[in-house]
Amino acid sequence: MEQGNRVRVSINNLSKTFYSNAGEAINVVNGISFDVYNNEFLVILGPGRCGKTILLNMITGLQKPDSGEVSIDGRVVTGVAPEMGMVFQKLGLMPWLTIMENVEFGPKMRGVSKKERREKAAHFLDLVGLTGFENHYPYQLSGGMKQRVGIARAYANDAQILVMDEPFGQLDAQTRYNMQMEIVSIAEKERRTIIFVTNNIEEAIKVGDRIILFTKCPAQVKEIYPILMPKPRDEISREFLNIRSEISDNTDLAL
Amino acid sequence: MGIDTQNTAKFVKQRRKDNSWYAFLSVATVLVFLLLWELLAIIGVFPPNKVPAPTDVFRALVFKMTNTGPDGATLQVNILASLQVSLSGLLLATLIGVPLGLLMGWYRSFDRMIRPLFEILRPIPPVAWIPLAILWIGVGLQAKAAIIFLSAFVPCVINSYTGIRQTNPTLINVAKTFGAKDFYIFLHVGVPSAVPMIFAGVRVALANAWGTLVAAEMVAASAGLGYMINMARQFNRIDVIVLGMACIGTLGFLFTWLFGLLERKIVKGRTV
Amino acid sequence: MAKLENQVEHAGDVRQDSTVKKAVNAILPFVSIIILVLIWFIASGYNSRILPSPVAVIQRIGKLLVTPLSGSTLFGHAGISLLRVFISLFFALLLGIPMGILIGWNRTFSATVGTIFELIRPIPSLAWIPLIIVWFGIGELPKIIMVFMAALMPVVVNSYTAIKLLPPLYLDVGRMFNASTDGELLRNVVLPASLPTIFAGVRNATSVGWMVVLAAEMLAAKSGLGFLINRGMESFDVPLIMTGMVLIGVVGALLALATNLIERRLCPWNRGIVSE
Repeated sequence: MEQGNRVRVSINNLSKTFYSNAGEAINVVNGISFDVYNNEFLVILGPGRCGKTILLNMITGLQKPDSGEVSIDGRVVTGVAPEMGMVFQKLGLMPWLTIMENVEFGPKMRGVSKKERREKAAHFLDLVGLTGFENHYPYQLSGGMKQRVGIARAYANDAQILVMDEPFGQLDAQTRYNMQMEIVSIAEKERRTIIFVTNNIEEAIKVGDRIILFTKCPAQVKEIYPILMPKPRDEISREFLNIRSEISDNTDLAL
Repeated sequence: MGIDTQNTAKFVKQRRKDNSWYAFLSVATVLVFLLLWELLAIIGVFPPNKVPAPTDVFRALVFKMTNTGPDGATLQVNILASLQVSLSGLLLATLIGVPLGLLMGWYRSFDRMIRPLFEILRPIPPVAWIPLAILWIGVGLQAKAAIIFLSAFVPCVINSYTGIRQTNPTLINVAKTFGAKDFYIFLHVGVPSAVPMIFAGVRVALANAWGTLVAAEMVAASAGLGYMINMARQFNRIDVIVLGMACIGTLGFLFTWLFGLLERKIVKGRTV
Repeated sequence: MAKLENQVEHAGDVRQDSTVKKAVNAILPFVSIIILVLIWFIASGYNSRILPSPVAVIQRIGKLLVTPLSGSTLFGHAGISLLRVFISLFFALLLGIPMGILIGWNRTFSATVGTIFELIRPIPSLAWIPLIIVWFGIGELPKIIMVFMAALMPVVVNSYTAIKLLPPLYLDVGRMFNASTDGELLRNVVLPASLPTIFAGVRNATSVGWMVVLAAEMLAAKSGLGFLINRGMESFDVPLIMTGMVLIGVVGALLALATNLIERRLCPWNRGIVSE
C-alpha cells in the first residue's frame, strides 16, 4: 500500500499472559507493535495456536491487554470501538435468527430504524451474493455461505475496520479457494481497512496488500512483506511463487 | 520479556481468594438458613405442630436410631428395607431394560414388534400402576419392586436404544471389512459404543427408582422410609416426616454421587 | 424416541428388502398388540374380578364418557387433572426460569440461592406429599403446590445448565455487535440461545408434573383421573381402575406430543438434535 497513506490503527506493545491453575504463567502475546494503514488489506500470517486469536481479541476490544494499547485514528481505545467489526473463525451466527436478522443485528442493537437497517443488510447480502436467502436459518446454509453472512454482518454494522480471524479455516479446500477470490472482490467493491489472520501462505499472498509474518510462540513480529502485485493474483505466476518461497524460507514452521 | 513471578503469584492468590469466598458464601448460606429456621421455630412463628426445628429433626434422628416407634422399625431397618426394594427393582430394570433397548436399537424387526407395547406402557406413570399391582400381586415386596421396576425400566430402554443408534457408522464399516457377522458387530462395536448413554440411562433410572420408591412404600409396605413418613404423618410426628425426607434426600444424593464416580471411571475417555 | 439426523440404519438392513420381508415388517407392530390383547382376553377369562376383559373395560369407558361420576364425566376428570398441571406449571415456569437463569449467570446468586436449591433438590417430588398434606390439608392448593415443587426442579436445573453451557462465542459476537450491557446481552443473546435447553426442562417438568398430580389425586382428591383410580380401588371396581389408567396413558402421550410440537414451533432452528 502507498506509504503516504495514513495510519488507521496503531497497535502498541500489546502483551497478555495467562495463568494456568497450577500457577504457571503462559506468555501468549508479548509486546506486539505494528501499524495498519487506511483501507489496506493487511494479513497476519503465523502458525496456529499462537495467541493470534488473543491478539485479535485485544485489537477489537473483546479482551483487555495486560499492557500496551490500541489506537484508532490517533485515539486510544478501550473496549469495543464502534469502528471495529469482526468476522469470527467459528462463524458465530445466531442460530435462532434468520440470515437477515443476523446481518441486521448490529444496527438493531444500535437502535437504527427497521427500514434503514433492512436496506443496509440487503445491500451487503447482495454484496456477498446471498440475495434470496434472507429468510433462511443458518442451519440451512453451507459453511461457505455462513461465512459470507458473517462478512455481510460485519460490513452492515458500519465497520470501518474489519478484523477477520482465520475466516476460511473451517471450510473445505474448494470453498476456501472460492472464498479467497470472493473476499478480494468484495474488498475491491467496498473498501475497508481489513486485518486478516491466516496460517496459510498462499491465502496470505492471494489476498494481502501487506503481510506481517509472526514467529512461533510466543508470537513476535518477524518480518513485514509488502505485496505489490495487482489483484486478482495468479498463484502460479513467477512473482507469486517467488514471494511464496521467500516467505516460506523465513518462517519458523513449515507453512 | 520474562515471566513476572510476582504477578503470577498475585494472580493465582486472587483466584484462590475468589474461589474460597464463594465456597464460604455457600457454607454461610446453609448455616444462616438452618439458624433462621431454628429461630423461627423456637419463637413460634409457625403454626403449632406444623414445622419442626432443625434440632427437633436431629433429636428424631437420634431417637429413631434406637427406637421403633411410631412406625414399627428403627431408622436403620427402614433404610435397609428401602435400599433392598429399590436396588432389586433397579437391578431387574437394568438387566431387562438395557438388553431390550440395545436389541431394539439394532434389529429393526424386533424394534417394530416391541415398540408399540413399549409406547403404550411409557406414558403411564409408575404411580398409576400401584392399585393394579396391589390387586394382582398383593401388598408386599414384589408389588413394590414391580413399581420400582417400571419406573426404572423406561429410561434404561430409551437410553440404550439411543446409545446404540448413535454408533459411528465408520466403525461398523471397519468391522465389516474384517468380515465380522452382524451379531458380532452388535456385541463388539454397537454395545461398547452405547456404554456412555447406557450409564446415563441407569443414572436416570436410579433417580426414578428412588423417587418412586417413596410413593410405593407409602401405599404398600410395612417398612421403609416412605412407610416411615406415612406412619409419622398419621401420628402427627412432623419431626419424623422431615427426618425421613432428609434421609431420602441424602441417600439419593449419595447414590447419584457414587454412581457418578463409577460412571466417570468406566466411561473415561470413551469418546469414539 | 426421536430420529437422529444422519444416523446409520440398522446394520441389519443393508440389503434391499424383498416384498415378503416388507409385508412382514408392516404387520409386525400389530402382531405384538394382537398377541397382548389375546393374552388379556384369555387371562380375564380365568378371573374376571381382578382382570376384567377388554370388552368390559371399553364398556366402562363408554359409560363414563356420558354419565358423570362424582360430578364429572371421564373427559371432565381428565380436564381437571390437566388443569391442575397447567396451573402449577405456569407458576413453576414463572419462578423457575428467572431463578435458574440468575443462578447460572451470577456467581453470588449461585452460591446463595443456588446452594439452598441444591439442598432441596435431592428430595424426590413424591416425598413432599405427606409434608404438604400436613401443612395445607387436602384441598386444591396443596395439590397445586405439590405439582409446583415437582415441576420447579427440572425447570431451574435446565435453565442454569443452559446458561452454563452457553458458548462464549455468542457473548463475544453480541458484544462485538453493540449489545454491551448485561441486559441487552441477556435479552438478545443468552435467552434465545438457551431456549432449546430450557424447553427440554419444560418437557421434563410436564411429565413429572403429570405423575405427581396423579399421585396427589390418588391420595386425597374428589376429582381427577387419580381420584378415579382410587375410587375404583376402594369400591373394587376394576374396570374403573383400568379406565383411569387408559386415560392417563392417552393424556400423558398427548401431553408429550403437544410439548414436542410446541418446541418445534418455538425453536425452528433446533434440527438434528436428539430430543430426549
